Amino acid sequence: MNAVNAEVYEQHTAEIAPETIKLHTRNLDFFYAKHQALHAVTLPVVEKGVTALIGPSGCGKSTLLRAMNRIYGLYPGQRATGEIMLDGENILDKKIDVATLRSRVGMVFQKPTPFPMSIHDNVAFGVKLYEGLSRAEMDQRVEESLRKAALWDEVKDKLRHSGLSLSGGQQQRLCVARGIAVRPEVLLLDEPASALDPVSTAKLEETIVELKKDYTIVIVTHNLQQATRVSDNTGFMFLGRLIEFAPTTELFSAPKAKRTADYIGGRFG
Amino acid sequence: MASFRRARRSVVSAVFTGFCWAVTAIALAALALILWSLVVKGVGGIDQHTFTMDTPAAGSVGGLRNAIVGSIIMCGCAMVIAIFIGVLAGTWLAEYGRNSLYANIIRFLNDILLSAPSVLVGLFVYEFMVAPFHGFSAIAGSVALALIAVPIITRTTEDVLKLQPTALREAGVALGTPHWSAIRQILWKSAGSGILTGGLLAFARISGETAPLLFTSLNEQFLNFNLTKEMASLPVVIFNDALSAYDDLVRLAWAGALIIAVAVLGTNVLARIITRERRPS
Repeated sequence: MNAVNAEVYEQHTAEIAPETIKLHTRNLDFFYAKHQALHAVTLPVVEKGVTALIGPSGCGKSTLLRAMNRIYGLYPGQRATGEIMLDGENILDKKIDVATLRSRVGMVFQKPTPFPMSIHDNVAFGVKLYEGLSRAEMDQRVEESLRKAALWDEVKDKLRHSGLSLSGGQQQRLCVARGIAVRPEVLLLDEPASALDPVSTAKLEETIVELKKDYTIVIVTHNLQQATRVSDNTGFMFLGRLIEFAPTTELFSAPKAKRTADYIGGRFG
Repeated sequence: MASFRRARRSVVSAVFTGFCWAVTAIALAALALILWSLVVKGVGGIDQHTFTMDTPAAGSVGGLRNAIVGSIIMCGCAMVIAIFIGVLAGTWLAEYGRNSLYANIIRFLNDILLSAPSVLVGLFVYEFMVAPFHGFSAIAGSVALALIAVPIITRTTEDVLKLQPTALREAGVALGTPHWSAIRQILWKSAGSGILTGGLLAFARISGETAPLLFTSLNEQFLNFNLTKEMASLPVVIFNDALSAYDDLVRLAWAGALIIAVAVLGTNVLARIITRERRPS
């Protein structure tokens, strides 16, 4: 452990124009009880763009994502220190209402998690919490969300069927639709395609590229090709540190840090 | 040498299997005998008066109407109380308390209560609800039965909630749902059939309990809907009549026992059907 700590990490972060940054983690440390999982992570997330987080298992990329909507707060003993600025406001502040924060920063998980209710109600679930829409308005919102998630054509005739009756890929796109129905500003995707087959993955990636027009997206992925296909900027993480952050094309074509080069070159991970 | 060992091994295996088989047969035979005598003697005791007349004095004609109604009322009240407390307590243990010291203490006490002799529960309620008011009552009986059902429901609720995927919980919360609403609207729904099964099993358990009722609701010769008065119940009527010297009362006791057994069987079958149907495809 000491040997690892003693090592000096070569870190490079590309400059991003401050006015384009939607969400900015600054010197973020994260702890699972006594174990420190993130070390002073400073990551800019550009508005209406896709930021990919890559790195070997256990490097802290999911932890970083789970800090951005404070979902870790469900578990006593997990805590974050530092700053996560969302539109200039530190969301780690005690005064922040986490439910409202999470309605602004949506999340889609690794495994599809449809709720035990109809497809329509799955999408409407989050909207009902924050908006009193009429039935017609709600139907419209459901359709619009399902269209954006590229699922509408497959389910428009069975909106009353259970969300659990869909295939895995459809369930995941349903979860995306549910996430965007509440019109969040930021969408966090935690390895959304890892449980999907190649066809479903391709559809989901198209959806992500499409969603970029309206949303700020952060995606954690194990799949480097996926990062190059969907993202504008990429952060490479290793042992709880952000080793390199750069526009995706630059990071993959001319990595500055040796560890980044080793990882994307397939020498480890 | 090797063949000798192999032969020995297969003999040992056969002997052990045979032994297990025989022991199972003994257990099942006992069960079959109980059920057989219950059906034979119980069916003989059921006639046109069983469901229409109240419990008779020795030598006169009568039925079990007051006891059946009493059992339904007291078990019903007990289940309302027990589901309310048990589901909330189980939810707290699974979702909020988790591994905190307080939760572990509650869990430990609940497990003790789960195996506490029901006669103790009866005595406890007698001390707190019967003796101070100088009177037996159906309410006290319901509370005693509820105390037996609560730990069962608490336990099953906690268990089925813990079986729900973490991702489902997080997905609800990630939409901006307050934790409590996520539990109510998503987790309870998802765990619904399991919670219901726990409730039905608890119901099956309390519907045959005699000891707690002897100290609380006692017995009553006539049909009664007043919860503050004594009330008849099937187990207590069975307890009284089965020990009496009169053949017609003993027959009535068998009929009552058969009715309880059928009700419990029906409840268990219902629980099975519900869990099968609601399982997501």
